[in-house]
Amino acid sequence: MITMEFEELQKIWDSQNNTPLYAIDENALHNRILTKKRQTGHITNVSEWLSIVVNLCSGGFVLAINYSSTRPGLAMYLLAAWMVLVSLYALTSRIRRITREHQFNRTLKEDLNHAIAMATYQVRLSRLMRWNMVPIAALCLIGMWEAEKNGWIFLLTLGFFAMAYYASGWEHSIYQGKKKELEVLKAKLEAQQ
Amino acid sequence: MDEVTEKEQQHIFESWLSQHKGLLFKIVRSYAFTAMDQDDLFQEIIIQVWRSVPSFRQESAVTTWLYRIALNTSIKWTTKERKHSRTENREHLQYLLLQESKTPADERLDWLYEQINQLDEIDRSLTLLLLDGFSYKEMAGILGITESNVGVKITRIKKVLITKIQKG
Repeated sequence: MITMEFEELQKIWDSQNNTPLYAIDENALHNRILTKKRQTGHITNVSEWLSIVVNLCSGGFVLAINYSSTRPGLAMYLLAAWMVLVSLYALTSRIRRITREHQFNRTLKEDLNHAIAMATYQVRLSRLMRWNMVPIAALCLIGMWEAEKNGWIFLLTLGFFAMAYYASGWEHSIYQGKKKELEVLKAKLEAQQ
Repeated sequence: MDEVTEKEQQHIFESWLSQHKGLLFKIVRSYAFTAMDQDDLFQEIIIQVWRSVPSFRQESAVTTWLYRIALNTSIKWTTKERKHSRTENREHLQYLLLQESKTPADERLDWLYEQINQLDEIDRSLTLLLLDGFSYKEMAGILGITESNVGVKITRIKKVLITKIQKG
């Protein structure tokens, strides 16, 4: 008796196998994607301007200090030049990124692709800025060595760069996480369709 | 499975989802009742499934693997939901917003879900696995209980459900 009636339950249960229980709420999803895109765009914009302004100002400052110094060092000139070049690189990357933005139209899928493209760009930018710290730290320390600075100042500077490198690694992983979230969403959306 | 690249992970994830999403929806419907909760639980399960791809060893069927992940996530989610209020910001977990499909509702199926929803978390899991044709051994493996315990619980669950059918 039990078996027979349970088989009935089984049939009811199996009847749903080919019926979709849920569908995507496209409007809500599109709004969510647009929010994510705006957030990513805002972060990217701030990061780019920071990279441009900080490197340009720091490069100019190092150049001015070194130029006015009684003992100008080669490493500090190289450091200033490097920072200005990095600033210019960040500026050209930004221009290229903004130019490419016109290729995305305003559909749900394209907005998602756009958000992923921006997140990918942000991940690349943060990785580059992290590695950029290595030559800057090296040139800075060589400059201090040339200027025969106190050993403690040398160690403190080294410690500062090590901490900054660690912190930027943490920041980079946040951007990677955000990018992955968008990629999972895309995969899920494609699987659903 | 050996080390998987991100691309492979994505490909596997997509294929699992396209083939077995019905399984996940069934579990979601059995553990979460409001649209918001169902959406929330679905996101949780999806995230866990994505993370699980690199550790899938092909020692079990994909459906068994997905059931194990989805049920464990649902049980944990249910416990967490009891502890925390719904007012917390869950924005970071929202990947996909779901709405009920426009397909006409099956009253008998609604009734069956209603009965499943009234069971405790483990019994709910066992009922789903039973209805989806898993063996006692597989059920024991998925839920981490002994086969004999599965047998005892299944007999009791069947009795409860049958009594309800007869009453209804």
